[in-house]
Amino acid sequence: MFFHIVLERNMQLHPRHFGRNLREHIISKLMKDVEGTCSGRHGFVVAITSVENIGKGLIRDGTGFVTFPVKYQCVVFRPFKGEILEAVVSMVNKMGFFAEAGPVQIFVSNHLIPDDMEFQSGDMPNYTTSDGSVKIQKDSEVRLKIIGTRVDATEIDKNISQSRPKWDPAGSHPSRFFCIGTIKDDFLGVINDPTTI
Amino acid sequence: MSSIEPFNRLVKLVARAFYDDITTKGDNQPKSGRSDNRGIAVVVLDALTRRQWVREEDLAKDLKLHSKQLRRTLRFLEEEKLVARDHRKETAKGAKIYSAAVAATADGQPFAKEGEEKIKLHTHSYCSLDYAQIYDVVRYRIHRMRKKLKDELECKNTVQEYICPNCQRRYNALDALRLVSLEDDSFHCENCNGELVAESDKLAAQEGGDGDDNARRRRREKLKDLLQKLEVHLKPLMEQINRVKDLDVPEFGTLQAWEARASAAGRAANGDSSSNDPNKSSQGYGGTPMPFLGDTKVEVAFSGAEGKQVDVKSETDSTPQKVLPPWMIKQGMNLTKEQRGEVKQESKMDGSSATGGLSDDKKSTVEDDKTSLQDEYIRAYYAALLKKQQELDEAAKNQQESSNTPISDGLSGASSNRQVGMKSKREEVEGDDDVDWEEAPVAGTTSESFKVHDLNVEAEASAEDEDDIDWEEGFLELQSRVILGGGLLFAMGLTGCVLLLQTRHE
Ligand SMILES: [Zn+2]
Repeated sequence: MFFHIVLERNMQLHPRHFGRNLREHIISKLMKDVEGTCSGRHGFVVAITSVENIGKGLIRDGTGFVTFPVKYQCVVFRPFKGEILEAVVSMVNKMGFFAEAGPVQIFVSNHLIPDDMEFQSGDMPNYTTSDGSVKIQKDSEVRLKIIGTRVDATEIDKNISQSRPKWDPAGSHPSRFFCIGTIKDDFLGVINDPTTI
Repeated sequence: MSSIEPFNRLVKLVARAFYDDITTKGDNQPKSGRSDNRGIAVVVLDALTRRQWVREEDLAKDLKLHSKQLRRTLRFLEEEKLVARDHRKETAKGAKIYSAAVAATADGQPFAKEGEEKIKLHTHSYCSLDYAQIYDVVRYRIHRMRKKLKDELECKNTVQEYICPNCQRRYNALDALRLVSLEDDSFHCENCNGELVAESDKLAAQEGGDGDDNARRRRREKLKDLLQKLEVHLKPLMEQINRVKDLDVPEFGTLQAWEARASAAGRAANGDSSSNDPNKSSQGYGGTPMPFLGDTKVEVAFSGAEGKQVDVKSETDSTPQKVLPPWMIKQGMNLTKEQRGEVKQESKMDGSSATGGLSDDKKSTVEDDKTSLQDEYIRAYYAALLKKQQELDEAAKNQQESSNTPISDGLSGASSNRQVGMKSKREEVEGDDDVDWEEAPVAGTTSESFKVHDLNVEAEASAEDEDDIDWEEGFLELQSRVILGGGLLFAMGLTGCVLLLQTRHE
């Protein structure tokens, strides 16, 4: 679910930025630092929409760095148990399949895939109904329901996602949501099959 | 204590449904045939349905159980939230209180007077059924059982569990990211890299299934069967729960409350009021901190006759304290700024009248027929007062009849009285010893005191000498009355007085 909320952060700025463009520097640094990070409480910060207030700076002892308290509005995305999401399938195996909804990864285990869908191994592993009309494979779009979430403090598994620089936590904010979902319910399942396009 | 029987039946059913095969032996002890104590929970629960609070030693004796064994069972039942327990250190006397309570609940026999008193403290444990909690716990338990089976059956919202066949380490679907491997498409153990098995296949695996589609189907069937059995077996229990649903749950309260209640009832039955009052002997428990103090009773009497009330009032509010509080001065009369603020200093010298607010403005020379004027004023004042009181009493009576909440009324009355006292005391200090009145008027005749000036003259005239005491009394009367009845009436009364005075003056 998306939220538009106000957050606060103390920004440390190098003295070389103290000049006419101080404000711009603070804001651009804020965007760089915050967007794409994730906290267990608020979820992923998708984008900063405005800066409400930059407080008085405080010079740090010893260094010339100055700390500014910054209040900013941002859009965050946080998955909830019971929430319905649309996601893109990223990997299929006999245990189930993985899908991604923006920064969130979701695993759907095979017992939460409708009973009439069978796993087909091969070049392009997939779950298919017996009549072949519905197929879940990589890049399929599915609608699923989240039945469990976990905030993982660990790095994401490189096996799954090599190509995700945007959301990849840049070291300082390694936490990330992992969810498990189901497509075994009304109106859930494939919403767009990539092969038919 | 309403119908306890349905609840006892519920307890018995629960005991047989869920605690039938519970043994309280430690796991390390060998379960030989002789030491097998399965069913003990049922026995204990049944015994408790025939008792209220019971000392565990006594219960053990009754059941011919070893007290250790009983205690173990009770501890288990306490963890299961079926039984409430209480432990306390007590003297022989404290134990007697309990005995007395038991006697009172059992057959109303008069209990023995405590004679010897040993200082020695023993820890005694007591237990009783907690019916309200039992009801909730059982419902919750059944709900969980059903939900688990149904979820499993429908494979809904269940977090898939995985288990490593090699090292028995368990995982669930939330660990999926860490478990995938590139080599094949199954999950692998983090410890030993063994291939994980989905846990819910275990049920099927027990049946010797091959873990395939067949197994899935068989598992479903088994689950369905289980669910059906559950419904059948728990049917009597469910019926009992439904029967009990709208009944009042029997409550014994805490051990102490129960004791107090029981022995009080016993006393009442026996007409024996002298012995064994739990209040008095509560120190005798040694370890129990809070004695039972009985129900708090507050009685507030509304006196109907106003004359009587006046008497009471004038007695309680002693004369020297009867002064007008500052907020009162503002209300009905247009006094000058000085009278409100600066008077404080001036009225120090103002002696004869304690009502600081009204005592200034004494520049007047109208000293002649002041007695008659005073009388007139007082008469008028009391007339107004009487009327008000009648109104007030009527209102109070109505209130008392309509809403039966005398406690709050009593409280507000008390507090307002205190408030009056406080305020007037302060004023009194200021307005006590005065000196001359000549000074006040100089300040008093400033812009703000226009037409009321005349009035003030009269007021102060009337307030002179000893008569002013009456006057003040009246006023205080009025004031406390008003606090009770609300400021509106007061305002009406005052304006009444003022009008009366004005017309009279003209
Ligand atoms: Zn293992």
